[in-house]
Amino acid sequence: MKRLGQRFFLGLVLVLLYAPIFILLIYSVNSAKFSLQWQGFSLRWYQELFQDRALWEAFFNSIALGLCASLLATVIGVLTCVNLFISRQKQHALYLLLLLLVIIPDLVLGVSLLIFFNLSQIPLGFFSLLIAHITFCIPFVVLTINARITTMDPNLYFSALDLGASRYLALTRILLPLLWPAVLSAFLLSFTLSFDDVIISYFVAGPDFSILPLAIYSLVRAGVTPELNALCSITFGLSMVLVVISHRLSRKTT
Amino acid sequence: MKKILMLLAGLWMTGCLYAAAVVNVYAWGGEIPREVIQNFETETGIHVNFSTYDSNETLFAKLKASSRPVYDVILPSGYFVERMKNQHMLEKIDHGQLPEVDNIGLAFRNSSFDPGNQYSIPIIWGATGLFYNRANIKNPPYSWRQLWEPRWKGQLMLLDDPREVFSMALLSLGFDPNDTSPAHIKLAYEQLLKLVPNIKLFASDSIQAIIIDEDASIGSAWNGDAMKARAENGNIDFRFPKEGYVIWVDCLAIPKNPPHPKEALAFINFMLKPQSAATIALVEGHAITNVKGKALLPDAIKNNPTVYPSDEVLSRGHFQRDVGEETLVLYNQYWEQFKLTF
Amino acid sequence: MKTKAYSVYILYIWLFLFSFLPLLLVLAVSVLSKDSNKLVTLPLTLSNYAGLFTPVFAKILLRSVLIALLTTGLCLLVAYPFSYFMIKSRHRSLLLLLIIIPFWTSSLIRTYALIAILKYKGLLNALLLKWHIIDAPLSLLYSNFAVISGLVYNLFPFMVLPIVNNMERFDFRLLEAAQDLGASRWAAFTRVFLPGTAAGVLSGCILVFLPAMTLFYIPNVLGGARSILLGNLIQNQFLVLEDWPQGAATSAVLTAILLLLLACYRQQNKGRAR
Repeated sequence: MKRLGQRFFLGLVLVLLYAPIFILLIYSVNSAKFSLQWQGFSLRWYQELFQDRALWEAFFNSIALGLCASLLATVIGVLTCVNLFISRQKQHALYLLLLLLVIIPDLVLGVSLLIFFNLSQIPLGFFSLLIAHITFCIPFVVLTINARITTMDPNLYFSALDLGASRYLALTRILLPLLWPAVLSAFLLSFTLSFDDVIISYFVAGPDFSILPLAIYSLVRAGVTPELNALCSITFGLSMVLVVISHRLSRKTT
Repeated sequence: MKKILMLLAGLWMTGCLYAAAVVNVYAWGGEIPREVIQNFETETGIHVNFSTYDSNETLFAKLKASSRPVYDVILPSGYFVERMKNQHMLEKIDHGQLPEVDNIGLAFRNSSFDPGNQYSIPIIWGATGLFYNRANIKNPPYSWRQLWEPRWKGQLMLLDDPREVFSMALLSLGFDPNDTSPAHIKLAYEQLLKLVPNIKLFASDSIQAIIIDEDASIGSAWNGDAMKARAENGNIDFRFPKEGYVIWVDCLAIPKNPPHPKEALAFINFMLKPQSAATIALVEGHAITNVKGKALLPDAIKNNPTVYPSDEVLSRGHFQRDVGEETLVLYNQYWEQFKLTF
Repeated sequence: MKTKAYSVYILYIWLFLFSFLPLLLVLAVSVLSKDSNKLVTLPLTLSNYAGLFTPVFAKILLRSVLIALLTTGLCLLVAYPFSYFMIKSRHRSLLLLLIIIPFWTSSLIRTYALIAILKYKGLLNALLLKWHIIDAPLSLLYSNFAVISGLVYNLFPFMVLPIVNNMERFDFRLLEAAQDLGASRWAAFTRVFLPGTAAGVLSGCILVFLPAMTLFYIPNVLGGARSILLGNLIQNQFLVLEDWPQGAATSAVLTAILLLLLACYRQQNKGRAR
């Protein structure tokens, strides 16, 4: 009985969470252009989507940007956490600065970076976006990995060194595998934050690198076209596929 | 070895990409259809980096905040053209390089905000008027003043733009929508405070969806949006108010020191072609300034009184003008206070 | 045992360049004056800060805080039991992923999809009418209800993740021990479990409260752009009023208030640890 109640609650929350997504899926095959009422089945929006080169460009740009930013942020974050862990130093200033980054509203961060790029003559484009995205991802990476690394025993690393392993070997064969779930979730979190970021990108984006959230933000002015719904349905489908694959893979390793 | 070769190949290809001609266009979302962009690229071989903004203010802020010139072509509204022109942010456009420029209708050749179209080329225009849903609204209003009647309590949808809403209030009081007198603006503000109970929402995007699905049955909207809405909901109707209404014009312009001036002119010239203008009208539903383009449109559109009103109706229209920096501050301060009463 | 902590230096330099310095610039801009041609110009002034001590700003601040508190409260109410059931379930990692996936679809589009659910002819009204719970469709959209729903929907995972992270490390044997010692289930819950998971709850609340105060597109889209919240105010000041110094001052004050709240929390924490 208790089990049933638990499952019902979990199920209800998930249904509520996914309801808007299913609405998206339905409207992507709705033949109406502006109306949000059902007007008949049509795959026309998927056809239009495949011909819309600008939107695809924005989509792939966002993925590329997300992968680069989350990769770099994760690498910097992992190395920092590991080094702090090994050297057993407490870096209060660092944590304060990271916390400050989390607290600062996106809007303020976006504007401050815009002013900074303006003054330092850094052109707005891919690199300004990359810098901005890495900057707001790093605190989340560090916080996630730190939560995990502090529960680990540093002696594992030092005993490996004592037994003759090089620093590199001890790092890759002992620490990283233990940290792997945290690293992966930090990477996924960073990618999510970067892929969906609207506010900060709004301020620091340039003309020759269009990204998906901004393309969508401007297009919804004319109304959310079902083409956008089609794109989001595809994104959703791909994510589900990725999840199923990774779940299968993780089952195999355990 | 293989890696080095691949790196070199990549660099070479990137170099090629940059060597190819490029034009950076920054325009309103939902006004230049992608067919037109793709046709331009096919015909001229110039690649278009197309970005969009959702308001004139964003465009203005982005231009001001960029340390070096980034965009080649922008699409500001007329009153912003005037404002940017006064602040020396625009390049003069050489009409000699635009063979298609004579396609623009006479009415738009000598705009009040940019005489002689020296800094801007108008391509799209529209008007703000009253829309209503015939099925839900009996005795729809003919004038702005009637929106203040108590029977519209909690029903109005207004545009989310301070100039538009204040223009409506000023016109209802008999003033000019481009009024700069602080006394008149204050009266307009007080008039707006009386309208508060009637307002249901402010909207600037997805207006058609709101109108079609009847989340709002009456209010102010652009004529192009009302016409698009009618295509999916036959009960939608549009009226040009008795006291007058605002006409906006979106113009192509070139910001100062563009990175690709020749390509910018090529783009503008392509937009002026009758076929491009006709495509814009058909896909986005707005009224175009291009006379030859209009001739290509089907009768149902070019004779439609909502999108192309008669001269008699047009005479009641007021072009939106820049009101100067101090008045703008005044408008915005009142707007903030107005929104706070909700 | 000396290890060359290069990466720590890299991080320091990165953070200095791209977060500390820009924020310092915001402070600098906030004491400059507005200029319509160049955006900011020299006469140093504190008038931008003075401009914030008005009843207008206080009203906006209060309203934003209330909405953010409501959002946080609702998120917590749903996320806490959800997290508990999740870690007890066999499909824990799958459930975690299932929560994150919707966020790879643009949050803007999902917010518009919420409109399709809440509007006059929307899904919710259709269902309520069908089950005869109401007679006429409800006008749910363009109200505080819609705004809070949108905020809760968008910020839900930010509440779940820290709570789950924390609950996992909770030693459930403590609960058994408490019950062995004679505590009722309710007492065990309130005296052992709640305090034990408080750290996660507080992290979650912070991660939800802060964005709830400053997101501007959700109140605009779902609230009919009728009420101005802090996020709209700052956006307005930068983009519509083009008063960068004023916008910078408002941002600085907002950040200061949030830092103060955080400092209070840490102070309380330290006190409790003693």
